[in-house]
Amino acid sequence: MKEKNIAIMLGVMCFLLTVGICVQVRTVTSNASKMGRTYAENELRDSVLKWKEKYDLAYQKLETKEVKLEKLRETVSTSSESSETAKADLEKNNMALGYSEVIGPGITIILKDGELNSNKLDVSSYLVHYSDLVEVINALKNAGAEAISVNGQRIVNTTAISCAGNIIRVNNEKVGVPFVINAIGSKEKLYGALTMLGGYIDKLKDDGVDVDITQQNSITIPKYDGVYKYEYATKAE
Amino acid sequence: MIYISIIIGCILGAIIGMHTPVISYTYSSYLAIAIIAALDTVFGGITSVLKKNFDLKIFLSGFFGNAILSIALTYLGERLNVDIYLAAVVVFVGRMFTNLAIIRRYYVDKWTNKFEQMTFKVKETNSEDKK
Repeated sequence: MKEKNIAIMLGVMCFLLTVGICVQVRTVTSNASKMGRTYAENELRDSVLKWKEKYDLAYQKLETKEVKLEKLRETVSTSSESSETAKADLEKNNMALGYSEVIGPGITIILKDGELNSNKLDVSSYLVHYSDLVEVINALKNAGAEAISVNGQRIVNTTAISCAGNIIRVNNEKVGVPFVINAIGSKEKLYGALTMLGGYIDKLKDDGVDVDITQQNSITIPKYDGVYKYEYATKAE
Repeated sequence: MIYISIIIGCILGAIIGMHTPVISYTYSSYLAIAIIAALDTVFGGITSVLKKNFDLKIFLSGFFGNAILSIALTYLGERLNVDIYLAAVVVFVGRMFTNLAIIRRYYVDKWTNKFEQMTFKVKETNSEDKK
């Protein structure tokens, strides 16, 4: 009787064990191809994190240097009374170059890839392309926008917007959907100019792109992180 | 008797295991370590049956306790980024070999005894014939 109990118990345990082994073997074999990919992915992720750390470190250095520069400028401009106007000029120029954070009323446009719709002839029309960004920014500038940013990238006079596969490069930085375009200016004028019938936003909506425009009372637009370089151009006397 | 039930259990388990859904790959490392722990307990159980000190309570608590503890250790190791499950594997597989050695010794002894008895009987009958 006791031996029978032991036998049944051992049998049940072996049953559980083999079920586990079979499930495990099947899981591993069905994921064998995925496993290699996850290893590669993990390594890539690791290197991305490392580079991001380096980038952050470099950025921090840049910021401390900028603070120093700002202080130097201030001491220079305050030390001499006659340079009071120079300081005002500097601030104005910085704003024009996009080197200072600005705040003011304006509009926010959010562009997102639309849902795939089989009724459309062109299957890529519902995607946001770099040319769409260019057109929208152009329309904003036309309507008198004073400062524009795309996903935190300030649009300055050297900004290039280019296509890089499934992402877009703005100022050589990668940006992806959703594209949040902030513009400072007269919010009514900007809104009116952008949403007019037959305008570019209207066309985008027709194409199936997800567009969302809101008027804002206060938008903060970050400063431009890059550096202006003049290698060939010199001041003409 | 015990081996028959083990074999039946294994066959049934293999048949059912082939038709159960596959678990997520994230948890497969936990299942693997639990399998090693359970395998160790089963070998321990067989050994204790041969030693005639089998205790159902100890066997059951060992089966589930070891599995759960090893899963917990694997999880902790993953959090700490240390491969603690290797320690569990070493311990369990080491014990498995010890248990396997005990089982092997038991049967080798049993069979050599039987063989010796048989040859002894043959010799006895031979000597009786000569008389």
